[in-house]
Amino acid sequence: MNAVGTRSLALCAVFVVGFAGVWRLQQRIDVRLASLHQEEDDLVLRSGPMLKMISMEHAPLMADLYWTRIVQYYGDKRMRHDPNLDLLWPLLDVTTTLDPNLLPPYRFGSTFLAEPPPRGANRPDLAVELLNRGIRANPDAWRLYEDLGFVYYFNLHDTTKAGAAFLEGSRNPKALIWMKILAAKVAEQGETPETSVFLWNEIYNSATNDDVKQNALTHLRLLKAQADCNALDALIAEYTKRTGHTPTDLRELVRAGILLQVPVDPLGYPYELNTRGQAEMDPTSPLSKDQPAYQKPL
Amino acid sequence: MSRAAIVAWNTFREAVRDRVLYNLVFFALVMIAAAILVGEISLQIEDVVIVTLGLSAISVIGLLMAVFIGVGLVSKEMDKRTLYALLAKPLRRWEFLLGKFTGLLLTLTVNMSAMAAGLFVALLYVKHTLVRSDAVVLVAVYFILLKLALVVALALLFSCYTTPLLAILFTAGLYVAGLFVGAMRNVQSDLMAPALKTFLGWLSYVLPNFSNFDVMSSAAHGRAIPGMLALQNTAYAVLYCGIVLAAAAAIFSRRNLK
Repeated sequence: MNAVGTRSLALCAVFVVGFAGVWRLQQRIDVRLASLHQEEDDLVLRSGPMLKMISMEHAPLMADLYWTRIVQYYGDKRMRHDPNLDLLWPLLDVTTTLDPNLLPPYRFGSTFLAEPPPRGANRPDLAVELLNRGIRANPDAWRLYEDLGFVYYFNLHDTTKAGAAFLEGSRNPKALIWMKILAAKVAEQGETPETSVFLWNEIYNSATNDDVKQNALTHLRLLKAQADCNALDALIAEYTKRTGHTPTDLRELVRAGILLQVPVDPLGYPYELNTRGQAEMDPTSPLSKDQPAYQKPL
Repeated sequence: MSRAAIVAWNTFREAVRDRVLYNLVFFALVMIAAAILVGEISLQIEDVVIVTLGLSAISVIGLLMAVFIGVGLVSKEMDKRTLYALLAKPLRRWEFLLGKFTGLLLTLTVNMSAMAAGLFVALLYVKHTLVRSDAVVLVAVYFILLKLALVVALALLFSCYTTPLLAILFTAGLYVAGLFVGAMRNVQSDLMAPALKTFLGWLSYVLPNFSNFDVMSSAAHGRAIPGMLALQNTAYAVLYCGIVLAAAAAIFSRRNLK
């Protein structure tokens, strides 16, 4: 091998060995830094108008970057099961100031703010403020009224304001016809399981995002399970009245001919009886595990 | 072909020879990366971010070209001493300036047309279809071109009487000031002397108002831009460029080139 070939080979070896060393070293540094890890949530510039000025004509692009940061921030918190979402509102405030016409921060941001922990910041008041700000900047965006109605209904349990929001949104000529139906249903029935099923169905059917769809589906399944348990409790009462004793197992109702078989929840897990003789979901059912985080008493 | 047009054509050819259009590769890489990545890391803004990022990139790349090449249009010819050979021919100084201005504008137009085409390809990739309202992006690109024409005129003006470095600083400074003209006009302060307030008001009309051309938000959200605004902005750019080029020609004509 000539001198040039030897030099090339040596150079290749230096690259391979050198970068292997860098790779190993970086891993060790990462471990060391992780042990020093502190909460790094920070927002250096909290003033939207100031950021808008600094961004010059690129403010809409900055808004996109901030929105991406919000998605990453929220996703990271969810994955680490960290309930601290203190930066959510300032980030949304900055984003919507940078580009008041960008709709996803209002629509998804209000959900992130309104939902109770661990799915949100439990600040429906701020969600309402955000949506009202969005409506002022985008009066044609009737979906924001729909979101406002949902926050009033599900998070603030204010059916009057929820109905008013749906009604106001339905006045937009571009709004779909079911906005009027939402307004009428909420005004007529108030907060009932049937209304909740109706609203979650609308969210499920209109959502384009998979996470939102999954969230609505879980709510619908839980509402179905709750309705099933209520129906089973009525049958248990009838059995108790007929036989004079409380059943210890739902199979007793099957043997008595009240049920054809032990019913199952929407995920296929059979319902059970608890110690108080009431129907409930199988504790091993994934739906049962979701219940505390999702379902609020109606 | 008129003498100014010959200078313009040669300015364009020189820019192509200097590989100025290589920036298109950078732009293409940015758009490809954005089109692929944004959908993975963000939520529901895939098409919006393609438009804002594309327009921002077009604006920044165009601005860098307008300032740095614009400033060098005259100074380079003087440094290389090719200006003397040119002016020895039957070519008036104002024709030389006008040719240089038009040549760079042609370079920018070709460059921005290619970038706009790239932006639409990225948009098509993300949205799978283009709709009528997407045409507003073309209006935004046109407005950026008008803005850059103003910047080139200013760079040319400053390069006629000062060093390239100072000309870059003056042009960049005036550009930034021109973005805040609206704020200058509407400044509210009880502490400010009325005379100063009046002066700022006047100044805001003298400075080039670059915020006139900022329609990025409308383009990103598919909101129509009134045709009258396009006409008015075109007239504004033509008028302002005319004033600045006239000043540049006056200064350059009196300049002692010995």
